[in-house]
Amino acid sequence: MNPVESFRMSVRAIRGHRLRSVLTTLGVAIGVAAVITFVTLGASLQADVIGEVSGDQPPLMTVSAGPEDDQPGPPGDSQAVFTDHDLEQLRAIEDVAAVVPQGTVPVSGLVVGGQTFGYNQLTATTPESFEYVATSGFSAGGSFGPGERELVVNEPAARLFPGNVSVGDTVAVVRQNGSRVNATVAGVLAADEGPFGNEPLPQVYVPTDPFYETRLDVPSSDSPQRVYPTVTVVATEFSAVGTVQGDVQSYLDTESDARSLKPDSYAFRVQTVEDLVDQIRELLDTFTAFVTGVAVISLVVGSIGIANIMLVSVTERTREIGIMKAVGAQNSDVLQLFLVEAVVLGVVGSLAGIVLGVLGAYAATEYVDLAMTFPVEWAGIAVVVGILVGVGAGIYPAWNAARTDPIEALRYE
Amino acid sequence: MSDVAPAVVLDGVRKTYELGGQPVHALRDVSLRLPRGSYTAVMGPSGSGKSTLMNLVGCLDTATEGRVVVDGENVGELSEEARTTIRGTEVGFVFQTFNLMPRLTAAENVALPMLFQGVPSRQRDQRAADLLDRVGLGDRTGHRPNELSGGQRQRVAIARALANDPALLLADEPTGNLDSETGRDIMELFADLHAAGNTVLVVTHERHIAEHADRIVHLLDGEVEREERVAEPRRPTAPQRGGER
Repeated sequence: MNPVESFRMSVRAIRGHRLRSVLTTLGVAIGVAAVITFVTLGASLQADVIGEVSGDQPPLMTVSAGPEDDQPGPPGDSQAVFTDHDLEQLRAIEDVAAVVPQGTVPVSGLVVGGQTFGYNQLTATTPESFEYVATSGFSAGGSFGPGERELVVNEPAARLFPGNVSVGDTVAVVRQNGSRVNATVAGVLAADEGPFGNEPLPQVYVPTDPFYETRLDVPSSDSPQRVYPTVTVVATEFSAVGTVQGDVQSYLDTESDARSLKPDSYAFRVQTVEDLVDQIRELLDTFTAFVTGVAVISLVVGSIGIANIMLVSVTERTREIGIMKAVGAQNSDVLQLFLVEAVVLGVVGSLAGIVLGVLGAYAATEYVDLAMTFPVEWAGIAVVVGILVGVGAGIYPAWNAARTDPIEALRYE
Repeated sequence: MSDVAPAVVLDGVRKTYELGGQPVHALRDVSLRLPRGSYTAVMGPSGSGKSTLMNLVGCLDTATEGRVVVDGENVGELSEEARTTIRGTEVGFVFQTFNLMPRLTAAENVALPMLFQGVPSRQRDQRAADLLDRVGLGDRTGHRPNELSGGQRQRVAIARALANDPALLLADEPTGNLDSETGRDIMELFADLHAAGNTVLVVTHERHIAEHADRIVHLLDGEVEREERVAEPRRPTAPQRGGER
C-alpha cells in the first residue's frame, strides 16, 4: 500500500478521535518542550557566562601547586611553594610581561581611628597586580609602593569602616602574634560587578614586602625565603599564552625551587583563562545534562502514552482490522497503517514540543535575564526523536494489529 | 459456460478445530462446485458448518483436508499473502452486519478493496462512483455509514464487494439485520447482479431467502445433507417503489 494512502488513512483515524489524539500528542509535546527548554536554557546560560568570563581577558595564567589527582579548579588551598627566585626565573621567560605573586597574610584585626575591627586575612601581592591582574581600576589614589608600609582597599572593604577609609588614612594591622604595623591607605579600588553580577568581597591588599611572612628553608639559599601559594604570570599578548604556559610548566617541573618544596603527591598547575572557560563549560554541561535527563523522563512518559493509546486503538478497531483484511489488506498494510499513525502522533507532538519549548525557553531566559541562544540542531533532534518515539511506541501495537486473525476480528463486537 | 473452470470447487473438504483439547469437526468431507454465473444458497441450522464453509470459500481459512479451489487457485497451497490477494481480488464479501468502515464515506468504503490492490486514486474514485450508482446510491457517495439506513449500508457493502470485479460474491445472511421489505430489495439487487453474470453464494438459514437461488445446498452437522434444485427461483416482483431510500 502506498505510504501516502497510509498517511491519509492515519490522519483520518487520528482526527476521528480528536480529544484522545490531542492528549496523546500533548504528552510527547510536553516531553520535547521540556527537553528543548532546558537545553536552550543551558546553552543560553553557558553562552552568557562564558561570554562574561572570556570577554576582554588579559593574557593571564595562574600558577599553583595542588594534589595531583585533584580536579583542576580555581586555586584555593594550594601549597605555598613558589620562591622569589622562582618568580625571577619566570620573569626571564620569553614573552612574559609580569609575574605577580599572591599570598595571604593572616591577621587578627585592623585598627582605624582607635577602633579595632576583626579581620581575617590580607592579600599580599606586588604593585604589578593592579596593573595586570585586577579587573577594576582605582577610584581614588593608586598602588602601594614595593617595600612601603601602605595598603590598598577595594570599595566594599572601605565601607566596612565608619566614615569609609580614604586615601591617606592610617590603618593599623594587628598581626596574629599581637604586634601592630601602621600602614597608609594608598588607593581605593573601584568595585566592578563580577561575571555573575555579584559585588566583590571586601579585600585589603598589602605589599609582599614587608607584610608577607610565610617563609621556608630553601636549598638555593641559606636563609628562609618567602614562598607564595599562587603566582599570576602575565604574557605580553594573548597569542603568546600557549607557549608561555608550556615554558612556565617546564621550568616549574624541572628547575624550580618549588619542585623540592612541594609534597611529592602535588603537581604544578598552570591555568589559563581558556582552561577556566573550559571548566565552566564542563560544569554547565553537566548541569544541563542533568536537567535534560529529568526532562527526558517526561518524554519517555509521553511515548508510553502513545504506546498505550495505540494499544487501545488496536483493540478498539479490531473489527475494522478484520474488515480491511477481509477486503484484501495484507499484514504489512495493517502494520504500516498503525505505525504511520503512531509516527504522525509522535512527529506532530514533537513539532508542537519545539514551539512550546522555544516559547518556554524564551520565557525562562527573559525571567533570568539572559540572551536566548537556541541550539538549532535540537529542533532536528526533536523531530527525529518524535519519529523514533512513534516507531518505538507504535511497533508493538501495530504488529499486534497486523497479526489479528480476520475471522476472530470480524466476530469481535 | 460449461467450458470455463468453475468459480469455486470444494473437493473432499474437512475442517477440524481444537476446542478445549477436543477436536470439533466443523466440516466432514464436503464437495461442492460453484459454476461461473451460478446462484447458490447454503442453508442449515446454526452449528451446521455454514460459517466454516464461508470462511474456506472466502479464503479466510484453510481446510484441514481436501482441496478448496477459488478461481483456479488451490487455496491450501498458497502463502498467507497470496491468500489475502485472492481474497481481495476474487472474493467479494457481504456480511449480515454490513461491516463498513465507520469513518470512511460510502465512496471510500467502496474504494477500500481497490486501495489494497494499488489501484490509482482517480480510477478508484471513478469506479466507486459507478458502483454506487449501480446499487442505486449515486447520490450518497459522500455519506458516512451512520448517515445511511440499514438497506443503504448493505448496498454500499455490496458495491464494495464488487469493487475488484471478483469471481465470487459471498453473502452471509445479507438480510439478517434488515426488515423484510428492505431485505427483499437487497435480494432483488442480488438477482440483478446474478442476471448480469456474477457468481453468487448466499449463506442463510431462512428458506425464503435461499429460494432466490437456482440451487440450495443443505448442510447438517458438517455434511452436505442434500442438494436441491429450485425449479422456479423466487424473483422479487417488478420494480416497486424504486428502492427503499
